[in-house]
Amino acid sequence: MQEQALSLLLSNQNGDGGWGAVGGKHSNTEVTALGALALRSAGADTAAIDKAQSWLSQRQQADGSWPLNDSAKGASWATALALIALSEVPAQSERALKAGNWLLQQAGGKPGLLANLILFVTRQKRAVRLNQDLIGWPWTAGNFSWVEPTSYCMIALKKLKQKLPAEPFQERIGQAELMIYDRMCVGGGWNYGNSEVYDEKLWPYPDTTALALIATQDWPQRNENQISLRTLHDLALKTDSGLAIAWASICFDLYGQDNTAFKDALAQRFAKSQFLGENKALALALLALGNGARYFRV
Amino acid sequence: MNRRDFLKASAAASLAPWLSACEQTPRWQRDAYTRPKRSQVAILAAENYRQPLRDVIQRGIELCRLETRGKRVLLKPNLVEFDPNGVINTHPALIEAAVDAFKSLGAREVVIAEGPGHRRDNEYLLTASGLYDVIKEHRVRYVDLNNDDVRLTTLKSGFTHFRQLYLPETLYQADLLVSMPKLKTHHWAGVTLSLKNMFGVIPGSVYGWPKNALHWAGIDGSIVDINSSLRLPRFAIVDGIVGMEGNGPLQGQAKNSGVLLFGTDLVAVDSTAARLMKIEPRKVKYLEMAGEFLGNLAYERIDQIGETIDRLQQDFRVIDTFADLKKLV
Repeated sequence: MQEQALSLLLSNQNGDGGWGAVGGKHSNTEVTALGALALRSAGADTAAIDKAQSWLSQRQQADGSWPLNDSAKGASWATALALIALSEVPAQSERALKAGNWLLQQAGGKPGLLANLILFVTRQKRAVRLNQDLIGWPWTAGNFSWVEPTSYCMIALKKLKQKLPAEPFQERIGQAELMIYDRMCVGGGWNYGNSEVYDEKLWPYPDTTALALIATQDWPQRNENQISLRTLHDLALKTDSGLAIAWASICFDLYGQDNTAFKDALAQRFAKSQFLGENKALALALLALGNGARYFRV
Repeated sequence: MNRRDFLKASAAASLAPWLSACEQTPRWQRDAYTRPKRSQVAILAAENYRQPLRDVIQRGIELCRLETRGKRVLLKPNLVEFDPNGVINTHPALIEAAVDAFKSLGAREVVIAEGPGHRRDNEYLLTASGLYDVIKEHRVRYVDLNNDDVRLTTLKSGFTHFRQLYLPETLYQADLLVSMPKLKTHHWAGVTLSLKNMFGVIPGSVYGWPKNALHWAGIDGSIVDINSSLRLPRFAIVDGIVGMEGNGPLQGQAKNSGVLLFGTDLVAVDSTAARLMKIEPRKVKYLEMAGEFLGNLAYERIDQIGETIDRLQQDFRVIDTFADLKKLV
């Protein structure tokens, strides 16, 4: 399967060196970052890897951030993934550090004073159960913090721990970890970042559960991590998705647990759907099947 | 008057002069929109998803005199999330029937596209919901609007802080956009129908999940600004065979309603759908705003074709926050 997936990913690589969501779409930072890592883990032709890395390095903006793609040029959440990809390239370490410092400056927002005042005055019950004072990272500047972008940023920054200023690093990472644990679903695992709405429990997703666990991999013995690992194991093997199974496989690899069942499931899923031709799932599968989990080790 | 009513009345009184000043400046470009004098909405009975739904859809399309021949049709169902025990999404049987119906009526191409609001995992959503089988069997192209190429468009209305929005490139390649929502109540917006379903065309890669930037900017204003920015012809097919009441759009209860709604004026379709749910459309904030310029909200301006509202009306429960919507005017 690895050969086929690699061949498909290479055939989907755009002339500019990057990848879009599927073949034929314009290159974007998220998929290109994961694609570059996938090619490295699969031992692909260095020219293809260089082109992908070059796509990334050429698009870093003056402030250290990356745009989503060439159409949406503002700073984006995908910066964390570009950082993870380039932190593996010694010659690009300055770029990675610049991105890390930019990420430290970004933070999720809080609902305004007016919104809280209205809730207080009208005695309305809070619709969601989460601590809005805990700040992580948002998808878009100034918006609320959510699990997936926060996890990417935590992984990226933790990889640069020794090079970043200690105080803001500790402050941001410490609070982000609290935020992640606060958002955990009842019974373990994470969804996009809301465990309950109007007293109704929401359910975890395998991909975000794996990401939150990867982001908190330095706390393997915490109860939240342990129960969420069990949740992930049960969820991912029942999910018909290359993306979900690949993230789960990477996660279990990082936690030092047997991920053979996930690798087998990935091959079976690929045979059925080829992951709908989605380049991100292809890249993650290659990372899971090869030795790609190491790129997410913190 | 209790404390809450007193505070509301006081706030309204103190804000009134400021609000009336604001009202003098319309929040949309007057020359960019023409509200139709009258709108037609077709209401057709459909008891379940096992019956031949293609015929019902074809009839709905024909009753609305929608031109489909040679068109590139983009079907936009609601596929926000999946719960094996819930009724969150537009039923795949209905989407399949719509593919069939538009092809039979001479559409040049039929594409299914969605940008799911909660999940980023398309393969899972499509497979679990049953839509993947439809796509495979009918060899229909599916586009993930969350990760499509994007193009910036300038808004001609201003109900949020957005002045421009990135829209998926696929929208610009279609001749007709068909909104196929589920008939549901919604815990933030009151109801979610064909206008709210357009949240799904907004690319999550730019605006985040669960379309967070839109919620942050104000859900009602965002619904109106998104819909005012979509300049291609649109049609609505509302899946009310089984709807959802209570804590929608994800965790409400199934409501067997046995109805499909059709129309080219999405405001008229949604206000009719609300009436079918025994919900007052003029109290749904975004419908009231959209009714000012995007389409017809008033009962008197809508010609109902097919079944009558009275015959198929069902009492949909809403959460306490929206109790006021049940006070029909």
